[in-house]
Formats: sequence, structure tokens, C-alpha cells
Amino acid sequence: MTPHRVARSRAAIVVFFWLAAVALAAWQITRTPFTADLSAFLPASPDAGQRMLIDQLKSGLPARTLMLGIDGGTPEQRGAASRALGQKLRASGLFEQVQNGDQSAWQDIGTWVFERRYLLSPAVTPERFTPAGLADAIDESLSLLGTPAGNALKPLLERDPTGETQRIAESMIPVSAPRTEDGVWAARAGGRAVLLAVVKAEGADLDAQLVAMDGVRRTFAEVAAPGLTLKMSGTPLFSVDSRARIEAEVQWLAIVGTLLMCSLLLVAFASPLALVVAMLPVGTGVVAGIAAVALGFGGVHGITLGFGTTLIGEAVDYAIYYLIQAHGGGAGSAQRGWRHWLATGWPTIRLGVLTSVCGFLALVFSGFPGLAQLGVFSVTGLVAAAITTRFLLPVLMPEGSRGQGLRRHLGRFAARAMAVLPATRSAWLLLGAVAVGVLLWRGELWRADLAALSPVPREAIALDESLRGDLSSADAGALVVVQGPTAEETLQRAERASAALEPLIEQRKIAGFESVTRLMPSQATQQARRAALPDAQALRAALTEATRGGPLKAERLAPFIDEVQKARALDLATPESARAGPLAPLLSALMFRRGDGGWAALLPIQPVGAEVDKAAVAAAIQGVPETTMLEIKPELDRLYARYLREAQTQALFGSLGVLALVAFALRSVRRVLAVCQPLVLAVLLTMGVLAALGVSLGILHLVGLLLVVAVGSNYALFFNMLADQAHPDDDTLASLMLANLTTVLSFALIAMSSMPALSAIGRVVAPGTLLALVLSAAFAPRRS
Amino acid sequence: MRTTLAERGRRAAILLLALLPAALLPLPAAAQAFDLPALMALLAQRKSAEARFTEERTVSSLDTPLYSRGTLSFAAPDRFTRVQTEPRTESMEVQGDTAILKRGGRTRTMALNTIPELAALVDAVRGTLSGDAARLQRHFKTEVTGAPTRWQLALVPIDARLAAQVARIDIVGQRTDVRSIDLRLAGGDRSLMQVEPVAGR
Repeated sequence: MTPHRVARSRAAIVVFFWLAAVALAAWQITRTPFTADLSAFLPASPDAGQRMLIDQLKSGLPARTLMLGIDGGTPEQRGAASRALGQKLRASGLFEQVQNGDQSAWQDIGTWVFERRYLLSPAVTPERFTPAGLADAIDESLSLLGTPAGNALKPLLERDPTGETQRIAESMIPVSAPRTEDGVWAARAGGRAVLLAVVKAEGADLDAQLVAMDGVRRTFAEVAAPGLTLKMSGTPLFSVDSRARIEAEVQWLAIVGTLLMCSLLLVAFASPLALVVAMLPVGTGVVAGIAAVALGFGGVHGITLGFGTTLIGEAVDYAIYYLIQAHGGGAGSAQRGWRHWLATGWPTIRLGVLTSVCGFLALVFSGFPGLAQLGVFSVTGLVAAAITTRFLLPVLMPEGSRGQGLRRHLGRFAARAMAVLPATRSAWLLLGAVAVGVLLWRGELWRADLAALSPVPREAIALDESLRGDLSSADAGALVVVQGPTAEETLQRAERASAALEPLIEQRKIAGFESVTRLMPSQATQQARRAALPDAQALRAALTEATRGGPLKAERLAPFIDEVQKARALDLATPESARAGPLAPLLSALMFRRGDGGWAALLPIQPVGAEVDKAAVAAAIQGVPETTMLEIKPELDRLYARYLREAQTQALFGSLGVLALVAFALRSVRRVLAVCQPLVLAVLLTMGVLAALGVSLGILHLVGLLLVVAVGSNYALFFNMLADQAHPDDDTLASLMLANLTTVLSFALIAMSSMPALSAIGRVVAPGTLLALVLSAAFAPRRS
Repeated sequence: MRTTLAERGRRAAILLLALLPAALLPLPAAAQAFDLPALMALLAQRKSAEARFTEERTVSSLDTPLYSRGTLSFAAPDRFTRVQTEPRTESMEVQGDTAILKRGGRTRTMALNTIPELAALVDAVRGTLSGDAARLQRHFKTEVTGAPTRWQLALVPIDARLAAQVARIDIVGQRTDVRSIDLRLAGGDRSLMQVEPVAGR
């Protein structure tokens, strides 16, 4: 075989492998679901139990709960609209429950409670049915008669003279609830009726959430008087809106970014062919990245797509370096074209890829599934792009790109700048010192606030808070969490916890609490109550004695005896059997089955004043197995804070990894310093500017800084390489400038995104990488 | 999560209404022409009060009336307590928008503004005791008759929902003291409370 033919068959093999790999990845992608679920950007706590609870609290019921407001009109118009909307939505079948203060909504659960009152009332004991017990209970019921409350009780008196319905209802008096106006819930400030609707479909099923929300809007349009407007908020709305926003932004970023990059490349090479070839590594990288994420996570997040593509935009640089350096370099030497590039440019790119991978690895090991996706995407994408550059590009364009475009000017400009910049070193060092000063002066620079990641607009958050306040549903409270292997055991433990908490209300340590066991007692408790019910004869005798001389005669209480007999024949209710009935909303709010098959019951605690007396609650529930107190907001804050700390550590290790790689490759203290100096300065100056602007730094800024180091190290390495060359290489300089321009522009684009998560990174990386290039030039080692 | 359950028990909370008719207190004397502003101006001067009460309730479905007794106290601007000592011990304490109810050894806390009927009756009590005419007129048509030595304040609900529960409230006073409160329910039941001021405040 001639060398020529060897080269041709080699080329065929390379192209074949590339095509096969891309096809395989594309096949994998077609089988991958794409998600826009924001919980991917919540931290995954290492404590699985805690994580499960946080998941449930953040994405269980709240993820399906819509808060509605009806504004405008008169209170009567709002009341009518609220009632009509409530009725129609309940009838639509899309909602598990719709609450608006309308009493009629409670008829079903009221009937359920009334029928089962002798199994539900905590007062039911054998003593309750002795003559003394009956006399006392009847006495207590009578004490309410002749009052407005008595009006409600009077019709029940003959069937429930001991007041069990009353007793159960009393145990469920809410500590706080929405204000009522014209019979429906209203905002405290007036002018708005409020409703709460829980969607039946899973919170993660955003299409179903969208259907439910459209149903609300359509129904409102049908029933509302002119002049009334609908306000809507809640996690489902945020999720659906965010998905739409992410989709729109991803498209926008992709289109504008691509156009921008294409025009830059056209300017640089003035060759459409070069343009196509330059896009191959980054295109391959994107495909490989998506496929890797799909394999590793089972689904790809919208943000990963939109954002990851920009993150690995540096892969376009590889192509630029190749196309320019393969063409220009090696004139007159033995090696020409790609062979020359392989000897000079490639090692630098290889090192650059490795340092970038080091940086992105920090993302892979972050606690956020969303960021981990980005990390896997970037690492895989960059490696794939580098491999494509190394093997495919020499096959397709062995001589690099002939096109010159405006590159000559770029190169000349760069060379002139190179000559001037080293003189500005002391000025940069001075600025660096100022930046350190600003950073020290600002002090508290880092803020562990994940709200920064939320793409929800500020006005939407304000509406959400006001509706939440009107509905008294601030969910930042404290909970007692009771867990157990079976539903029955969990309920028994919840009963023990309830009994332990009850005295705290008396002592004013807590204002109240809720428990599923008030309407769903354990089998054991229901059984004991049922066993306490006397037969008709015994009850009649006791009743005669108990009512002697009282204002209520025993003869009138025959219905009571019948009711007790009926209760003796009742089946015991279980969470499973009740889930189909009117109790379903209560059960889904206060009890749930864990992923591992166990059960958990939630007992929300209402504080006296602003905060729950944690010590008192913890002391009370001590000794009840698998029962703990959980404060949701501090718990989340703690998780976020720990996540930030972890991210900082990971960033540190990432940076150390970059340093180690550079040190290993250069093996010269002086050169390592020369590479590190501009990077450190670039990071310091970027942080300094952000601090001077009063920006609090979060996890995303940290990620951005890591990117500055990762991308900037490439520049520093190139300048280091240039120091070995006999004379300034305009083409390499031009390729550096071009690469930097693409990076700066694409991140500037990201900085303009309306999603805080994206714009934060853009605002760090765009100025940071520009600084890194300028500083790398300024601090480049002098030619020896 | 709390809201999901908030509505439960609202009905039961109406039982608080039961404890209200007993809540008016002996008040300081007025010396001028007797219209509502004059009465209110006078009542506004007293900042706290204590009293004993006896109550007789007539209920259509019972053969005999129900009797109870206990104590009342008020402290401006918005705190008042009713403690019943006979025949059963129970109490209600209202301060601001919070009501704490104790019955049969159980304690419940709740927000008043979740039950407008209850809030209206609390306003009737606190409005009278603190001499706040605007508060009274928000929920009731008022009528003052008689002379400072013996006056009558009649309160008739404006809101239909309240009227469905309470037909009218008639308060009788001698000079500064509230001496009786007659609450007539829409169904015909009646609570008549005699109030005896406790000296020394």
C-alpha cells in the first residue's frame, strides 16, 4: 500500500467510527425523556430519610396545590364567583379538593365523621357509658344550648346527646384560617376572594398540571361577573411557566448563539467549509454530552441542554486553534499541516481540555442533580469535542483552513497588544490588591440562597406570598414526623405523639397541632372504642339513671341508643379504605407512603407567637419510636448552606486539580507561576467587581469562577507555549483572540437571560474570561 | 398544609359564640343626653372592669331552663375573659384576634377573623366595653333609649348571616354599669344574663 492509500483508508476508518458514535448517541437521545422539573436544582441531601421528607414537603402536596384569588367587583360578586368556581372545579374531576370556605364542600366529610363518631371521638371509653359518665357528657352538651353554637347542636341532640360530633370537631379547630367574607374565604386586606385547589395528577406531570390550570381559567371565564379577574399562583404554575420559559430561552440562546458564532467564524475564515468543520467538534460534544446524561440520569433537563451547549462552547475554540494553526504553522519545517499542529498545538489543547474537565468535575460531584447533569454533560462533551478535533479534523482538513478573512488584522492587533500589555503588569497587580481590599471590606460575600436559582419572576413571587398569607398557608413551620413500617404502627405512634403534645397546648407552649389520627385512629384505638360501646339494654338502663331529674328525659333519647348499636357493627376504617372516600385530601396531606414501603405521618405544629418552642416539643415526643421534629425552613437553609460549603471545597479541589495538571505539564515553578498569576488575578478582579456592585455570591457565581479558571488556563497555557517560539506567531494570537471573543460573546448572551441561574454565570464568565486573556498576555513569560 | 385542614372545625368553632352573651361588663356613668355617642364617650373612660354574672337560658327542646354563673373581666383595649364556675368550669379568653377556649380540661386556640359571626359578637362586646361606636355599627343597627340612670342599648344584626343566628341583643345599664344582657337567638331560644359589678377596680 502506498502512503497515500494508507492515509485514505485511515481517513475512512476515522469517519466511520465518528459516524457510528454519533448515530449511537443520537439513538440514545431519541429514547430519552426531557424534563423541566425544577426540583433537579434542589440539593440532594446525603441523608436519604431527610431527603425523602424534604422531597415530600417540597414536591408532594405543594407541587399540586394551586392558590387562586378573585379580584375586583363587590364582595357578593366575588362570593358568587368563588362558590360557582369551587362547585364546577370539584365536579370537573381534575382536583382532589377545592377549598374556598364554602360549607357545602364539607358535607361529605361531615357525614363521614358523624357516622363514625363513636370510633373517632377520644371521649369514648367504657366509663363514658356509665350513669355518671353519661350524666356528665349530657351536661356538657346542654351547656352549649341557648347559644348560637347551640343552634347547630340542637338538631343532633337526640342522636348525639353526649356530644361526640362536637368533641371531634372541637379537636380540629384551626389555630389560623383564612378570613371569611360573604361565606367564602377572603383576603385579610379585603377586595379578594381566595381559593385553594389541589390537582389530582402528580406534581411532576406538568402537562396534567397545565390542563388543570387551563380548566381553572376556562371555568372562571364562564362563571365570573364582568370586572372580576383571576389571580393564580403555586408550584404547579411556577413549574409550568418555568418550563415554557426554559424552552423559549433554550431556543433563543441556541439560535442567537449559533448565529453569533457562525458570523465570527465567517469573519475569521471567510470560508463556509471551515465554518462547517469548526462546528463539528462542538456538535459532536453536544450529542455525546446529551447521550451521557441520558445514560447516567435517565432523562435530560432543559437547563442542561440550553446551558450545557454554552458551557462547552469552548470546544469551538479547539476547532479554531486547529484550523488556524494547522494551516499557518510549520512553514519551512519538516512537519506541515496537521502534523505540525499535532506536535505544537495539540498538547496545549489536550492540557486545556484536562484542566477544563478538572473544573467541571466539581459540578459532577455537587449535591444538585441538575448541576451534576451539567457536569457530566460538559466533561463528556469536551472530551468528545477534543477527540473529534484530534482525529476527525486532520482527516477532513489536513491543511487547516486557507481562508484568511479579517484574521490578519486580528493577529496584528493581538501582536501589538502583546507588546504593550506586559508593561501594564504593575497596574493589574495594583488593581488586584484593590480587589482584595474590597473583598475583605465586604466581609459576608457568600450567601447560601437557592432562591437565586429560581427562574420565577419577582412579581410572581410577590403574588404568591400575598395569596399564601391570605390562605394562612405559610409552610415554613415545624412538623413532628412519625414513621413506621406499617400504616397501623405509624398511626399508633402518631397517637402516642399526639397524646404527648396535647398538654403543651394547655401549657401554652404550642398553640395547637394537627394529626391524621383525629379522623383516622389506629385499628387498635378504633377497636377499643367499639368494644367500649354497651348493648341497647345496658345503655337504656344507664341512660335512665343518668337523666333522672335533668332537663332532658331518657325517653327522648331512643335514637341515641340506636346510633350506638349501629356503631357497634361498623367496620374499622383504614388509610387504604378511606383513601377513596371524602377523607382522601386529609390523608394525602398528613400521611403518606414512603418510597421504601414504610409510612410517615406529619403532625404540623402551630406556634404560640412566631416560633415553635422546639425544646418543649422535642422533650414531649422523646421516647416515641421513629418520631422527630423537623423545621422545614431551617432544615432547607441548613442543606443549602452545607451545599455551598461543599461546592466551595469542590471548587478548591477543582482549582488544585488544574494547578496540579499545569505543574505536571510544565515542570517549571516559574512557568506554573506565570500560568497561575493571570488566573488568580482574573478571579480576584471579577469577584472584586461583583463585591463592589453589592452582588451576593452564590453557588452559580462559584461555578462561573471555576469556568473562568478552566477556560482561562487555556489562554495562559497558549501564551506559555508562545514563549517557546522564535518569533510572535500572529495566527496563534489571532486564534486565541477569536476563541476568546466567541466565549465572551456567548456568555454575555447568557448574562442577558431572564433566568437568574443562567445570567449569574454569564455575568461572571464573560468579564472573567476577557480578563483572563488580557492578563495572560500581560503576564506571559518573556521569550527566552 | 395547614390550610388544607383549616376549614375543618370551623363549624365547631361557632361554639365560641355560646360564651359571648355573658361578656358585657359594668361600666362608668354618663351624665349627659342619652344618645349613642354620649353613651360611648362615657364608656370609653373605663379601662378595666370585673363582674359576677348569673345566666338563665331558655331552650325550646328542654323541659327546664339552664342556669350558670361565673365571672367576667375586661381590660382596654381588646382583652376580655369569661370564666364560668357553675355548673361546669369553662373559660374563654379573647385578646386581639386570638381566642383561647378551655372546656372539659381541653384548650383550643383560634383566630377570630375566620368566623365572621363570632367576630361580630366579639365586636359587640368589646365595642360596648371600650365605647367604640364604629365597631358596633359595623355589624349592628344600634338604638339607645332611657336616661343615664337607666338606659337600654339595642343591637340588631345588619349582616344576614349573623341575623340567621342572632335576632337581637338588648343591654340594660344603670349609670356606668351594665346590669343585664338579653340575647335572643333566631330560633327563639334566649339567654338572659344578670351582671353584678365587683367593687374595687
